[in-house]
Amino acid sequence: MKKNLSRRDFLKLSGLAGGGLILGIYLEACAPGTDVPEVTVLPTGTPSATSTPRQPFDWNPNAFVMMDQDGVMTFTAPRSEMGQGVRTSLAMIAAEELDVEWSSVRIVQANADQKYGDQVTGGSTTVSRFYEGMRIAGATARQLLVLAAANVWGVEPDQCTTEAGNVIHPDGVQRLFYGDLVQAASDLKRSGKLQFKESSQYKIVGTGIGHWDAPRIITGKAEYGLDVRLPDMVFAALARCPVFGGSISSYEDTDARAVTGVKDVIVLDDRVAVIAENSWAAIRGRDALKMVWDEGGNATLDSREMVIQATSRVQPPTMDNLLDAYYELPYEAHVTMEPMNCTVYFHDGICDVWAPTQDPQNVRIEVAHACGLAGDKVTVHVTLMGGGFGRRLQVDYAVEAALLSKTLSVPVQVIWTRADDLQHDFYNPMAVKYAFVSLDTPALPIIRTLRGSSSVPTGWWRSVEHFSIAFSEQSFIDEMAVALNRDPYDMRLELYEDNEDALAVMRLAAEKSNWGKAMSAGQGRGMAYFATFGVTHVAQVADVTVETNGIVHVNQVVCAVNCGLAINPDTVKAQIEGGIVFGLTAALKSGIVIENGRVQHSNFHDYPILRMDEMPVIEVHIIPSDKKPTGIGEMGVPPIAPAVANAVYTATGKRIRHLPIVPEDLTA
Amino acid sequence: MPTFDLQINGQVHIVDVDESMPLLWILRDVLGFTGTKFGCGMGLCGSCTVLIDDEPIRSCITAVSRVVGKPIITIEGLPEDASHPVQAAWLEEKVVQCGYCQAGQIMNAIALLKTNPSPSDSDIDDAMKDSLCRCGTYQRIRAAIHRAAEA
Repeated sequence: MKKNLSRRDFLKLSGLAGGGLILGIYLEACAPGTDVPEVTVLPTGTPSATSTPRQPFDWNPNAFVMMDQDGVMTFTAPRSEMGQGVRTSLAMIAAEELDVEWSSVRIVQANADQKYGDQVTGGSTTVSRFYEGMRIAGATARQLLVLAAANVWGVEPDQCTTEAGNVIHPDGVQRLFYGDLVQAASDLKRSGKLQFKESSQYKIVGTGIGHWDAPRIITGKAEYGLDVRLPDMVFAALARCPVFGGSISSYEDTDARAVTGVKDVIVLDDRVAVIAENSWAAIRGRDALKMVWDEGGNATLDSREMVIQATSRVQPPTMDNLLDAYYELPYEAHVTMEPMNCTVYFHDGICDVWAPTQDPQNVRIEVAHACGLAGDKVTVHVTLMGGGFGRRLQVDYAVEAALLSKTLSVPVQVIWTRADDLQHDFYNPMAVKYAFVSLDTPALPIIRTLRGSSSVPTGWWRSVEHFSIAFSEQSFIDEMAVALNRDPYDMRLELYEDNEDALAVMRLAAEKSNWGKAMSAGQGRGMAYFATFGVTHVAQVADVTVETNGIVHVNQVVCAVNCGLAINPDTVKAQIEGGIVFGLTAALKSGIVIENGRVQHSNFHDYPILRMDEMPVIEVHIIPSDKKPTGIGEMGVPPIAPAVANAVYTATGKRIRHLPIVPEDLTA
Repeated sequence: MPTFDLQINGQVHIVDVDESMPLLWILRDVLGFTGTKFGCGMGLCGSCTVLIDDEPIRSCITAVSRVVGKPIITIEGLPEDASHPVQAAWLEEKVVQCGYCQAGQIMNAIALLKTNPSPSDSDIDDAMKDSLCRCGTYQRIRAAIHRAAEA
């Protein structure tokens, strides 16, 4: 019954340039709890007479779902993809309710536009905020297609069903292909109540699907920010003052200009850009600049001194049977594998930006502001990102590229080196956490936070301050248990006795890890529980071996998680695995040191991240749930540092009170 | 500037560049093979790994003059349909998250399996420990290498 071939043939024969018959679903409101929106259906001018997926450039940007005559659903992802799999997860939700096969799904990325709602990809909120809207997008389209088929057959729509991109006649035999119903459906108005699937009917949601982008990634075709290539594009590397807030005193660029391939040297306020015909020449030219900096007032900043200062500001309380402890956490860098970059073409009073960004709307605002343009003159194309972790919520890289392209009137790609990336980050803030409780009334501890210098740029980092909160709180609970001669797991069961979600993940993690089983000498096991952002419950049990030289090996991590409905359970597991690795880097390896106002790190040799030979076996157990999905991107991170520190205590009797854990802590 | 004949993915490309220019930037900025990634510029992260004479080479620190006349394979030289056993295993094990390091990981894994068709976990650790992944996909990379070895 498939008629799409004849239709396509007709289009080819007649030479019509118009696909034009695409069903667009517009959602005016996608917030949970809002009424199902009125649906506007417009024909589009997107021309295509082939089976190539159509690019929805001409669509009202509130469109998330469209379908062509080939029955292909093209999903426009409103939020950014940086490895957390949200393009795939959101498309899965819409495809489920539309009732198409996953092989019929294509994904395109939305440009920056307020009409998509909040496009800030942060806070592990994408699936939870867009869940209802994506269901509505899919279900609305399905309802219109069913209505179109019912009209063809002269039957009641509620007698029809759907299956894998077809509407099924009440006789159970006849079927109409979605692609052949698109034109008819585009003339219809939706009415009546939307029908959503029961979770028992799900064929896509709840199955472990690999990232939609994966086949392109492993063939080298996926386009990240640094892969953008435009005609006549030049590359730029910038010299920035190594001391935060410093400015240019003077500079000499003769050697820089002598580098083969260097085309120009341009001052941008407090930085100097070397423009070249390739990245390597730009970087070499930048390195050949002789910069004299006015270091300003921050040239004596010292991160170790900040810890001492912060600790001295604590005023311990007066209480009976006080148990208290200080926990120190350093500044942390993001270290995305793809360094910061952006490509901009400013021309004819408009500005096109290709940005690997978590905040395209703010890129648009800030680029417009920097270039003196109205916002509607700036188009932000969002590329794939080689990691984000919160660093790409900032927009500094985009403004640099925009100002340079405005000056040069050619496309400019700004490339940061690894040293640039480490030394000019917006760091997770250092913290001294002071935790205390009266052992007369054991309870979750009160924790006070003391910070470092406000002159150090700080920003969002995967799990933000929940990393330091969890480290101090969950380590301190273990200290309480030791002081009271209690098992740390039993102690937690008591402390969280009113929190069923907490108890459930702790029990599951304890069961799966054989909590209580004897360990050999030099080995230890530790538990931590945390509900990052208060929404996703995670318990982790870490098994470690501590060598006599103080080296800590994390052998295994068992994790139990309750994130509501797991849209893509494989992504849930992957995000927990990734979060644990991210947290292990902070627990065992990294930490920014600032001396003389300068970040003392320049590459992976002096800012190491976890490696393959340090990778524990990670088991992730998901608690089945039909509740609304919560979030998963950051939730694996906070519990791992205290779980490891608590395991180190059981292995060695030595309490970890600062990160990263260094061998000297365990050999003294 | 001198010209160099490069054999990339079975085709000869003639480039006119500074002799000290690293292969990475020739691939990416001169020839447009952007599948090979820049991560550190110092041979520390493995994102730029390509195969030269079947050896995993860090292209970011390998000058063009050292690779003339040698067969160079980049991620674009693998089957477009992802049918290479290592690519297939990467899909089966759902390895990728952000994916930025994965071209380098895959080239490194292919080189490992050429010399050691059935590596142990510790062989994998030794061969792969200098290929960094900030997303933390190591457990799946390990599984994918085992899977490819069995293919």
